[in-house]
Amino acid sequence: GDNRAAVKTSADLVAYKNINDLPAPRDMMIQIDQKHEAILLPINGSMVPFHVAFIRTVSSQQDTNRNCYIRIIFNVPGTPFSPHDANSMKFPGSIYLKEASFRSKDSRHISEVVQSIKTLRRQVVARESERAERAT
Amino acid sequence: MADGHLFNNIALSGRGGTNQGPMRIYSGGISWKRQGGGKAIEVDKADIMGVTWMKVPRSNQLGVRTKDGLSYKFTGFRDQDVANLNSFFQNTCGITPDEKHLSVSGRNWGDVDLNGNMLAFMVGSKQAFEVSLADVSQTQLQGKNEVTLEFHVDDTTGANEKDSLMEISFHVPNSNTQFVGDENTP
Repeated sequence: GDNRAAVKTSADLVAYKNINDLPAPRDMMIQIDQKHEAILLPINGSMVPFHVAFIRTVSSQQDTNRNCYIRIIFNVPGTPFSPHDANSMKFPGSIYLKEASFRSKDSRHISEVVQSIKTLRRQVVARESERAERAT
Repeated sequence: MADGHLFNNIALSGRGGTNQGPMRIYSGGISWKRQGGGKAIEVDKADIMGVTWMKVPRSNQLGVRTKDGLSYKFTGFRDQDVANLNSFFQNTCGITPDEKHLSVSGRNWGDVDLNGNMLAFMVGSKQAFEVSLADVSQTQLQGKNEVTLEFHVDDTTGANEKDSLMEISFHVPNSNTQFVGDENTP
């Protein structure tokens, strides 16, 4: 409806409120924090958190050199069926991180990561759409 | 302390992950050595352009920008070290460190800031991450709204990360006016 701004959208989801809530930095590898519904990506020697609700798809692939690749695609405005569009109206002109790809030597770790992101994302998206429905 | 401050376990972060080593901050500048040899960094006091502090999980990160456009990030400082080093930088280098904030909200939208050869992705006024353009092997424009950065992969012995960033892309909406007409940078 017209009162959209008053409704709490999924864009208001926040992974961490406080810096010290982040898991202690361990290995420089992709991590999942189930409790905070976040994935942590190793970028330039830091672990960078993203809320799973902002992820659109995740996929992995393996090459002949036994390297494994993972591609994480985030929600951006203008994509069909993106639940994010209320958000682009709230933050016009923002630049979005659209995609991040990593190479890994550990294919088991990558397939675990892909599975957990998918499961976690599904739970969060289901919960959020249920909440949005109740709010209208 | 005779001359400056010595810190034993400071992590240098960058492409390839992090490496631990001792760091000395003294009247001549700063120096850091990788534990067990390999990489060493020396920055002369006169070459320090700017210094920043950022609170990171369970630690503090010192950012040092040099006159030739390089940028180093050192992690492992306690809160009390920050106060000590602030007065040290002020007294010896005449530099007042700036404070940066780390974004932990997990959002994927914000602004892109270019400073020297560092590209920072800012959420609100806080920094989510920073990459060095020196690590970028190729940039591509896809369509009107997408900018892709491909990274060199660090295969040197210093690289110790398990998962290495290969590529990121940004969606730049038409309504963004920040980078209109600039084809060299996203």
